[in-house]
Amino acid sequence: MALLRLDAVRWRDVLRDISLAWPRGRLIGLVGPNGAGKSTLLRVAAGVWRPTAGVVTIAGMPLHRLSPRQRARHLAYMPQQLPEEAPYTVRQYVAMGRYAYGTRWTGYERGNMGREAVDAALRRMGLEGKGDVPINRLSGGERQRAVLARCLTQGSPVLLLDEPIASLDLHYQVDVLKQLRALAAEGYLVVIAIHHLELAARYCDEVVLLHGGRVTGSGLPAAVLTEAAVREAFGIHVRTYKDPFTGALRLSLP
Amino acid sequence: MNPLNHKWSAALRRLCSVQAVPVSVRFILLLALLLLAMAAEVSVGPMNIPLSRLLSATWAYWHGSRTADAVVLGAIRWPRLLVAAFAGAGLASTGAVLQALFRNPMADPAIIGVSGGGSLGAVFMIQIGAQAVSPWLVPFGAFAAGLAAVLVVYRLATVDGRTAIHSLLLSGVAVASLCSAVVTLLLSLAPLETMQQIMFWLMGGLDGSTWSHVLVVAVFVLFALIVYESQAHALDILSLGEEQAEGVGVNPQRVKQVTLVTAALAVGSCVSVTGVIGFVGLIVPHLMRLWMGPSQRLLIPASALGGAALVTAADIVARMALAPVELNIGVVTSCLGAPFFLYLLRRQYHREVQG
Repeated sequence: MALLRLDAVRWRDVLRDISLAWPRGRLIGLVGPNGAGKSTLLRVAAGVWRPTAGVVTIAGMPLHRLSPRQRARHLAYMPQQLPEEAPYTVRQYVAMGRYAYGTRWTGYERGNMGREAVDAALRRMGLEGKGDVPINRLSGGERQRAVLARCLTQGSPVLLLDEPIASLDLHYQVDVLKQLRALAAEGYLVVIAIHHLELAARYCDEVVLLHGGRVTGSGLPAAVLTEAAVREAFGIHVRTYKDPFTGALRLSLP
Repeated sequence: MNPLNHKWSAALRRLCSVQAVPVSVRFILLLALLLLAMAAEVSVGPMNIPLSRLLSATWAYWHGSRTADAVVLGAIRWPRLLVAAFAGAGLASTGAVLQALFRNPMADPAIIGVSGGGSLGAVFMIQIGAQAVSPWLVPFGAFAAGLAAVLVVYRLATVDGRTAIHSLLLSGVAVASLCSAVVTLLLSLAPLETMQQIMFWLMGGLDGSTWSHVLVVAVFVLFALIVYESQAHALDILSLGEEQAEGVGVNPQRVKQVTLVTAALAVGSCVSVTGVIGFVGLIVPHLMRLWMGPSQRLLIPASALGGAALVTAADIVARMALAPVELNIGVVTSCLGAPFFLYLLRRQYHREVQG
């Protein structure tokens, strides 16, 4: 059964008639040119923006019926990057993911659950020694790990991340994608917007190609990112081939 | 620099740094500072009342005694002190909250138009001679106009049920400057005597504070502190950006509404009783952030204590500096506050540049 489902979703004239359904345990890559609607799709799927038409359901429940806190317990959404001047320590930042479990009046959680969830998330992301470091002292890659840790503390089965590997170097791009794969293997549904087609093809279980606010392809990377589809979406004449070592889809640029 | 001197300044810097002192001790120090300022405020004046007689004279006033000491304390100094302390607490904590909400270090209570609207309301009431009817009409006019100004600012900045922070900032500035233009217009049309009254009100003052004033300010400010504290965690999260906040379950529009209404009530009550006291809402949250760190849960109560101490201390200066002439407290906070603030900014900047 699909965990997250979009039925005939429209958002103003940015998204048109989008129907998608994803089960648990997948890493999904949203690809497409700038302005194709990747970020908008993530916002709508996260319930931050309400669709103009159509409905988004999580585990069978329409998203717009949930309160912001209930929603945050079902899916974690991370917009592009953290602001540079964030004055908090890694631990303070990661603990913000527990807001959805706080009491109505103080906003803070009772008991030790929150602390344990934060410790577990820091450990999971290899940041256990960095809890007291100000978050803006971390390197770009570590910071992205902190962002993932914050998402994990929400205890939600769905992670929606907008360009999690933009502005990272190759080492951390691969590092973050491997982390995301591992999370998908544990049963999370992870949906990311990603510009790098070859990395998407190498690490994602499925890709969704967006062009002009419509889904023009969805499925296995090799089936979606065909020469014709890439030419139509990006206007670039590529040749595709199989990577001789990994068997993944590769693109030869003109 | 000689080594001993250097050692001392290093020790001092360590003491002032955020991590060196536990939170509880930092709060106790702030409280001690406030108590010191309060004690000075009630005992110092044209008629000095030694601290030893403070309690007994207050007690006597409470039980109907009307000796000179008792009357000066009970009818003049205590109300004045409490209005100063509550107004300072309200302005500074509101400043802290608005700086987080606007994600802008220059935000202060004036930025949502409440001070400008309040001034306009008060000036209008003075202009039409409402004081002759009831002494409460001027504060009431200030309060109502302050709230109306915030409402206008909020409506202007809200489209499709969403309030964009930058439009809130811009409409706040626009409404504030419109109000100040109309105030100037009214001033230029006023006869000389009314004009003096208006100028005096605009510069902010605590003279003539009564127990009723104390009650008004205390109720609104204490209410505001409770509400702010309930929004502290959400404000922390919101300071990282609205989309981030929505991702973890914060409802930004709700936080904005609750915070703005509460700020309008708290500052409106302060402005209506004391007039405009500048700089407290801007400077105290910055000082407290250096001393307490960025977390709103600590910053809000710390700013309240700090603001209370600062306004109380400023009032001592206002009363005593050129005695028997009394300065307006707004003049004191701005004259002392601005240079001190600049000094702090420079020092902070140097430290950041040096690493």
